[in-house]
Amino acid sequence: MQIDTQQITALAVEIVKILAAAVVILVFILLVVLYVVLKLRWVIARIQSRLGPNRTGPWGVLQTVADAIKLFQKEDIIPQGADRWLFTIAPAIVFIPAYVVYVVIPFGKGLTVRPLDVGVVYVTAISSISIIGIITAGWASNNKWSLLGAFRAASQLIAFEVPVILAMCIPVLLSGSLNLDVIVQKQTGGIANWNLFNAFPMCQVACLMLLVAGLAEANTTPFDLMEAESELVAGFNTEYSGMKFALFFLAEFAETFTLSALLVTLFLGGYNPPLHILGGQLTGYWYSLVSLVWFLFKCWLVVVFILWIRSTFPRVRIDQLMNLSWKALIPVGLANLLITGAYVGLWLAR
Amino acid sequence: MRKSLLKDIVNTFISLPKGLWVTAKNWSFLRPSVTQLYPEEKPTLPERYRGMPTLPVDPQLGRTPCIACGACARMCPEHIITVVPEKGTDPKDRRPAEFTIDISRCMWCGLCMEVCPKKCLKPARTFELACYDRQGMIYRLEDLMRLGGTLEPEAEESESSGDE
Ligand code: SF4
Ligand code: SF4
Repeated sequence: MQIDTQQITALAVEIVKILAAAVVILVFILLVVLYVVLKLRWVIARIQSRLGPNRTGPWGVLQTVADAIKLFQKEDIIPQGADRWLFTIAPAIVFIPAYVVYVVIPFGKGLTVRPLDVGVVYVTAISSISIIGIITAGWASNNKWSLLGAFRAASQLIAFEVPVILAMCIPVLLSGSLNLDVIVQKQTGGIANWNLFNAFPMCQVACLMLLVAGLAEANTTPFDLMEAESELVAGFNTEYSGMKFALFFLAEFAETFTLSALLVTLFLGGYNPPLHILGGQLTGYWYSLVSLVWFLFKCWLVVVFILWIRSTFPRVRIDQLMNLSWKALIPVGLANLLITGAYVGLWLAR
Repeated sequence: MRKSLLKDIVNTFISLPKGLWVTAKNWSFLRPSVTQLYPEEKPTLPERYRGMPTLPVDPQLGRTPCIACGACARMCPEHIITVVPEKGTDPKDRRPAEFTIDISRCMWCGLCMEVCPKKCLKPARTFELACYDRQGMIYRLEDLMRLGGTLEPEAEESESSGDE
């Protein structure tokens, strides 16, 4: 068989591109997590009238770097009676979905690694894989607290996966596409075109729903029942230490950023500047750069808002959590979907 | 049933922003941080702060008025005070030749200061006593006089008021 050299070079270029994107995303996640953890500590400290980390490096910016180095030096303990093989791969199963979700996020004009046509489905499908990792971790630890944490994680993520999808359906219906890039492009032309400020009131409801359900999905504090330290020691990651614990930690904060990126993409206009003058007239690489800056700025705002919520509200009880999803979010989400469907089908299609 | 549900929903949208507002007020400039940046910013000690026992210098005598009676050494529950009087001096003018306190075992009880007949053993206004070995915890006469500063005449007043 004739081997086409052109095809081989094309394949090689493609592989190099994929590897480069993988490395860039990994570095980006590491930087984002280092920053979000630091910001979390600053925000909580200020809310509690403290100063927060301010010794390591200028203004304490190297604090999380020091924490990470400390974590990597720790002994990697596998408890007796644990399933060694599952115990070892569980952190990877949790981290990899949190990592590959970044593939479809439009960071800027033309700055999506893979603008998939099924972007929204991809995000929800991939991010629910991490629950398997959490259950694996809880099961393999041979510890009742871990297992209870895993049970809770399972029930919580099943309950909140539905409202997340229902909320994501609203911008999908309005823009008529599952492709995150297309959804962003539909919101160009200033702040009035963003889905959050849409005159159609179901958008705000959906945005709130995505925020609440997403917080539960990313297990941040008001809903972090799977690692409720007052009841479950540390939940599913009780037995983990060192590098493996760092991976769980990384995944959790990467998910927090993913949530804010999704909120920005679906409701806050993605990478579009709020006013046309603030970068909208640029073209080419300059526009890519400016839109990246806008995207990161909006994500920063949403992350700070999430951290604010996180440091304000106490943890809910498990029955309250379940009621919130099954009795409030899912019925409202379904009604929301129906109304939006009717609006799009009967009103917009006219 | 239905009414309480409605109330719950309304309450949710009132109470959650209320909570956020409370933390936002703390977060803003309205409530500055209360943290003291310790090594740069020294804490203000309370007026009657009782630190380690020291021997302040009487400005008139140029030394501590201690008469080396040894009452403090006998009183100390930890037996950490050693007083050696100067030999061959006028019995009216006794003074310590050696005065050592091994502060590593001191429990800041203050009994030595209470029992001193000359009221010359005084609590120091210092708390930074960390050092690298146990030898550093043993304070000699000159260290105690240096740490103690000057003896304030206020001590005499309290004594006379006690006599009345
Ligand atoms: S304060 Fe108490 S323990 Fe310390 S030297 Fe005086 S009597 Fe002894
Ligand atoms: S009790 Fe007072 S006067 Fe007597 S030895 Fe101790 S410090 Fe000196």
